[in-house]
Amino acid sequence: MKWDIPSLEELEDAVWKCTACGNCKTAYDFGPPPTYGEICPAGVEYGFDGNMASKGKIAFARGILDGQLEWTQEFVDDIYRCTICGGCQNQCELDHKPVIPEIIEAMRRKAVSDGVGPMPSQKVIAQSMRSYNNPYQGPRRVRTDWTRPFKKAKKPIKNIMKENAPILFYVGCTGAFNLPVRNFPVATASIFQKLGLDFGILGENEICCGSTAMRLGDVDEFKRVAEANMKTFKDLHDNHGVETIVTSCAGCFRAIKKDYSLSDEYEDHLGGLKVIHTTEFLFNYFKEGKMEFTRELPWKVTYHDPCHTGRHLIQFDVDEDGSRQWKGSYMGKNEETCLYDIPREMIRAIPGIDFVEMERIRSNSYCCGGGGGVMTGYGDWAAKNAGLRVQEALDTGAKQMISICPFCHFNLNEGSKRIKSNMKVYDLVELIDMVL
Amino acid sequence: MTEMPKRSKTDSQITKRLCEIVGEKNATDMKHIRYAYSYDLSFVMPKLPDYVVMPTNVEQVQEVMKFANQEKISVTPFTAGTNIGGLCIPENGGILLDMKRMNRIIRIDEESHYAIIEPGVSHAQFASALAKYKLRFSWPVGPPSASTSSCSISHGIGGLSGRYGLNSEEITSMEVVLPTGELVRVGSCAIQEDAWHSCLPLPRVDGLFTGWLGTTGVVTKIGLRVHPMPPILKVFTASTENIGHMASYLRTLGNYEICDDLTGVSWWLSQVPIPYPYKPKPSDVPEWISFATTFSWTEKEKQAREEIWKMVVDEETKKGSSLKETEYPEEALRARTQLPSQIVGSTKNYTKQGGAGISWPGTFTPVNKWEPVYEEWKKILMARNLSPSVRVTNYRGVHYGMLRAMIPFPKKDPASIENARQAIVECLKVDLDNGGIPYKPPVDFGLEINKRAHPGYIELLKRVKQMLDPNDIMNTGKLAL
Ligand SMILES: Cc1cc2nc3c(=O)[nH]c(=O)nc-3n(C[C@H](O)[C@H](O)[C@H](O)COP(=O)(O)OP(=O)(O)OC[C@H]3O[C@@H](n4cnc5c(N)ncnc54)[C@H](O)[C@@H]3O)c2cc1C
Ligand code: SF4
Ligand code: SF4
Repeated sequence: MKWDIPSLEELEDAVWKCTACGNCKTAYDFGPPPTYGEICPAGVEYGFDGNMASKGKIAFARGILDGQLEWTQEFVDDIYRCTICGGCQNQCELDHKPVIPEIIEAMRRKAVSDGVGPMPSQKVIAQSMRSYNNPYQGPRRVRTDWTRPFKKAKKPIKNIMKENAPILFYVGCTGAFNLPVRNFPVATASIFQKLGLDFGILGENEICCGSTAMRLGDVDEFKRVAEANMKTFKDLHDNHGVETIVTSCAGCFRAIKKDYSLSDEYEDHLGGLKVIHTTEFLFNYFKEGKMEFTRELPWKVTYHDPCHTGRHLIQFDVDEDGSRQWKGSYMGKNEETCLYDIPREMIRAIPGIDFVEMERIRSNSYCCGGGGGVMTGYGDWAAKNAGLRVQEALDTGAKQMISICPFCHFNLNEGSKRIKSNMKVYDLVELIDMVL
Repeated sequence: MTEMPKRSKTDSQITKRLCEIVGEKNATDMKHIRYAYSYDLSFVMPKLPDYVVMPTNVEQVQEVMKFANQEKISVTPFTAGTNIGGLCIPENGGILLDMKRMNRIIRIDEESHYAIIEPGVSHAQFASALAKYKLRFSWPVGPPSASTSSCSISHGIGGLSGRYGLNSEEITSMEVVLPTGELVRVGSCAIQEDAWHSCLPLPRVDGLFTGWLGTTGVVTKIGLRVHPMPPILKVFTASTENIGHMASYLRTLGNYEICDDLTGVSWWLSQVPIPYPYKPKPSDVPEWISFATTFSWTEKEKQAREEIWKMVVDEETKKGSSLKETEYPEEALRARTQLPSQIVGSTKNYTKQGGAGISWPGTFTPVNKWEPVYEEWKKILMARNLSPSVRVTNYRGVHYGMLRAMIPFPKKDPASIENARQAIVECLKVDLDNGGIPYKPPVDFGLEINKRAHPGYIELLKRVKQMLDPNDIMNTGKLAL
């Protein structure tokens, strides 16, 4: 399989498009009324301009490319002190905008290939990926522990390798191995069963999607698991009747949908399959009136937009051949594919729910602080940042915070504990399961 | 892991002391951090600071200054570095004093219409806070993330300058740490700690800290006049075939003092983005286009402004002007009237095609000199394949005017940077010889200004600088004295 994953050198022209205007440092909207908010978790924590937003990250890239900067321990550290949330990217309007996260990841890839990255605590992930096919050092058999209640209740979940089904529920490593968020796959499978869907899981044969490896710059490891997964998915489609892959993890969703598309065999392997996030998948049932919320939930809730189901899914319109403006000109963006309205619509439809918004939402959502390998590399900072986000949620008067990403979920919970708040974090599937 | 590259001037003892003052996390001599402060978007050559320090309170600023003064280390104040003149690029290395962490809005006095803010407060932050009181400031057409305080002390201009003049004229009081570390106050807050409403009627010592390019002290708090926000916006847009007719129109309309912002731009500047390299203007479109921004409290007030505007158009038409009511390009108009501006702030309309670089000959030039200077600039810029993307703006009615060419260029290519630099300096000379004065001048401009200056003026500057900064540590070299 051939991959079109650019090196930093290949992105040099894009790097030289940045004016250092600093527009990316804050999320500002004219309104009226004008709104303003911090958007860069790294900037909030570390503060120097180099740490701040794409202005800083591109300065690093520029320094590497023009030979001014050589690797030091601290420099590598600062390249990994970024959640790759894309908050900065959303503020930029120049031609390099579409590739800002790629520039950051390309620096990480360079650090890895030069033998200086990722950070020591993140190397554990790389090792775990190689030994266990997941970033949590979880033995294979533990992957299906969450299915026990279903076995007990005599409602077993199909092993899709053994029994065909049109829907593959791709659980993801976080839901399977990370105890505090294990209710995720449980709730998802429970909803699927309540809806009478014919679905299965890969069980012990599921391997990591490669998202974390990719975010850390470990491109070889990413390719290894991505290629294996793509082959599995093709096999499931060709031989086991699978038409749809549903995933409840924002990271897996982004990886399968976007990162895998960098392969020249993407169409061949995944062309016949629909890859969909649980939220959107369920929304289709909801829209068609096939999923009714019957019970009341008298909660005051707010919603946190995960980066991976939000701005990471923005589609950028680039003048590829120069026929409209010039070659490579960034023409505009399309947010239709971002999961902004769908979760909100479903939350609002739950009887008894009082839904309130935080200040920074949708494309200007403030990252929980867990992405880009930060939760593993810098757990303390990740939780501290999540505390800031939880505080923003508390300021709305909400008592529960909803999201659709197990990473955000875990990290926001850590943040809530850290600021000693009573804020409870739920995944949307947990709520839906409660009211179905 | 490779070794940290050899450093020319950093001294770990100095770093240690700076860390003691502001905390480990807020001071560093690491090269990758310093590198990010070594350049900006202008043609000014990059230069590395030796240390970066982020104070979080006034006492820390004082300690840093005392230490720097004692050790004779240069200090360059910085908030966002977007001044378009390399003013935060340290000519002499030393400490880059990043003030962004002092970003409290201390007071918004909704009755007396002033606010007290710290230097790290951005336009975006201030705008959203003021909007809650239906108040506004004269926002520059620049990055929303840049500092309101730095804009004001640098004689910046904004969307209300047509009515109220420069943003430095809005300063009501200041707290400043001198280069030697003492804390001083100017304006009413100097007499009564809590009174930040006016610099007058005291002697105007606030002038010691405005327009000095960060060479005389570190502003730690600033009082600024703010203004009510009338609900009805009406923008009058008109075009002319040439700068002469445009200048006449702006002068006549300016006489009535009904506009918050009264600006004319050449065709090249009205494009999003400015064409780079130079592209000829289509022959069937006018060369100049203008917007006149007015705000009214009532429909009747708006109608009265419309009546005045029509009178002006009639007056100009009678003079034989090519003036016509025109549609201003939609995005360009939003960029200039929805302030602070995301579009201009992101430099989209300036550099998107040029590629990362912009500099300007930005000047205050009397309205009657706009025409001859523009015609010369056009020749200079076009000869170098650069667009004559020029703006003219009235301040305070017709009292004075801005004349500026915004020049994009690709930062990746040294020859293109030099081409732009030479063109801009040439333009500047023409303007200076016509009585114009550049604002936020990079050193290249400073040299040209000082060459022409009265010897007594230069001597006075030197004496004031010597009095305030005996060791010449603050933004060393920027005044080109
Ligand atoms: C696209 C674009 C358009 C622009 N349009 C406008 C415009 O319409 N009007 C306008 O006025 N400006 C404009 N600017 C310039 C600039 O953005 C603004 O003036 C801005 O508010 C300056 O803030 P800053 O934080 O970037 O200042 P900096 O560049 O960080 O600092 C400016 C100067 O102040 C000094 N300084 C900084 N902090 C202190 C302190 N605490 N004490 C003492 N000295 C200090 C610095 O040393 C430097 O000399 C524009 C810039 C860009 C990129
Ligand atoms: S990344 Fe974009 S918004 Fe940020 S400094 Fe560069 S050009 Fe400006
Ligand atoms: S991706 Fe997120 S954390 Fe990284 S620099 Fe941009 S805003 Fe900051």
